[in-house]
Amino acid sequence: MVRVYREYWRINILTTLEYRENFLMWLAFMLVYHGSAIATLYVVLHQFPSMNGWDFRQMAFMYGFWMLAHALHNTLFSNVSSIPEHIRDGNFDRTLVRPLDSLFATIATPGQIFPDELLLAAFYFGIATWYAGVHVDLAFVVLVPLIVAGGALIDLAIDLAISTLSFWFVRVDALKWITLQLEEEFTRYPIGIYSRSVRLVLTFALPFAFMNYFPAMYFLHKTDSSLPLPAIAGVLTPLVGIVSIALAYGFWRVGLDRYQGVGH
Amino acid sequence: MNASIRGPRFRFEPYFAFAARAMAREATYRFDVFTNIGSILVRVYLLRMVWVALYAHNAAPRDLPLHAIITYSTVALLMGLVMDIDQTRALHERLHDGSIATDFLKPISVPLYYFADGTGEVLFHALLIVPSLALALLVVHVDVPSFGTLAAFGLSFFIGYLIGFCINFLLNCTAFWTLEISAVQMIVTWLTGLLGGELVPLVFFPEALQHVVAFLPFASMFSTPLLIYVGVIGPERYLGAIAVQLLWLAILGAIAIVVWRAGAQRIVVQGG
Repeated sequence: MVRVYREYWRINILTTLEYRENFLMWLAFMLVYHGSAIATLYVVLHQFPSMNGWDFRQMAFMYGFWMLAHALHNTLFSNVSSIPEHIRDGNFDRTLVRPLDSLFATIATPGQIFPDELLLAAFYFGIATWYAGVHVDLAFVVLVPLIVAGGALIDLAIDLAISTLSFWFVRVDALKWITLQLEEEFTRYPIGIYSRSVRLVLTFALPFAFMNYFPAMYFLHKTDSSLPLPAIAGVLTPLVGIVSIALAYGFWRVGLDRYQGVGH
Repeated sequence: MNASIRGPRFRFEPYFAFAARAMAREATYRFDVFTNIGSILVRVYLLRMVWVALYAHNAAPRDLPLHAIITYSTVALLMGLVMDIDQTRALHERLHDGSIATDFLKPISVPLYYFADGTGEVLFHALLIVPSLALALLVVHVDVPSFGTLAAFGLSFFIGYLIGFCINFLLNCTAFWTLEISAVQMIVTWLTGLLGGELVPLVFFPEALQHVVAFLPFASMFSTPLLIYVGVIGPERYLGAIAVQLLWLAILGAIAIVVWRAGAQRIVVQGG
């Protein structure tokens, strides 16, 4: 399995080197994608200096957490979101007859993946941490990678759960696209601004708040009385990530067991 | 080609048929339609909370009180139903799989065929505005301006739509030269969202930036009609604002024609 995975990365990097122009275009898109998100925050907070007590520097730091976790997910698990497409065109069935676990085989299908977004995210996170004046100590250095890994697992769990739905429904692309859109558009704000039901959804049902909001609150020493959780929730992200992926994987197994092909 | 030597008399009927067929095709993706409308409702609901929170903790901007910004965001989302469609996607797809060659053999105008197909798709999504608006009104209050303002908004929106059409068409035309265009398309989509004022009104931008973005084509697509709707652009400025839009339409339309001719020429050369 380790050997297969190493080979997967070797092919990815070779493919990227082969299609350099394409790589540069996607790199440009990535800069525009994250750049426009940060610019939107900047413009909004230029006009309205405080968002529930958060200023631009703090929100830029919070965005860094989401960007890192999301980039880690995109780098390692981007193939999970193409599962519905592969089920539809029958390509997924190939992974079923392979000796390795079919989810692993899917994740390790080479494409044109390169850790550029992750590198950019790490760079941005460093700057945002300095810009927000967050105190960096040993605990920060140890906790941040764990929180980011947990955040990536949360992202993966939700992605996997939606992809699993395609064992029952053939077209879930719109649902997937919309979830991503809502994730990127609305988790960049402190969730304290939303109504109670939305806060509960973002904390317990689709726990995006653990990717960025709770960790950022913890390191910025902020409190939010509107939430049922204490400040320490910010470091629970790894645990939430593990629980989420365990649930999503269980759901995946259920879907896989009843899957009979779409009839090719 | 025979058709180019003695072309048949031009008729409009086939293009209406193309548009009707595109509408029927779009209607078959029912699940997508429901998720589309559902997503608009969720976004209207969440955006209202975002604006309410911002207005509660800060001084309201002079031109845009809370009810106006909620109206702005809701109308922008509904406009997105129509504006976010890549009407001439077929051009790119057909260049990709080569079937464009047979389109050129048909006794039709190829760009008009794509325009008709795209218009059918857009009309179907325009119809979705009605149920979306009706449902959105359950969640938020939307201001309704005077008839004159609505008419100016409609005209400005239509010009904005044509500008968007030209930009999409140009992007799809680049597929004549390079087949990998999705990254560029997405860059333009994201830039439109930010610089077009689809997400945040351009009047909230820092002063210096406002002067720059106001004169980019993106502003003509979303910002101008929206600012007319909420009254930030008053009747005395309609003429100027629409003139800027028309200027962009003329520029982009001219470029589109030149690029299309150059691209179509290449196809003929390749086809022998």
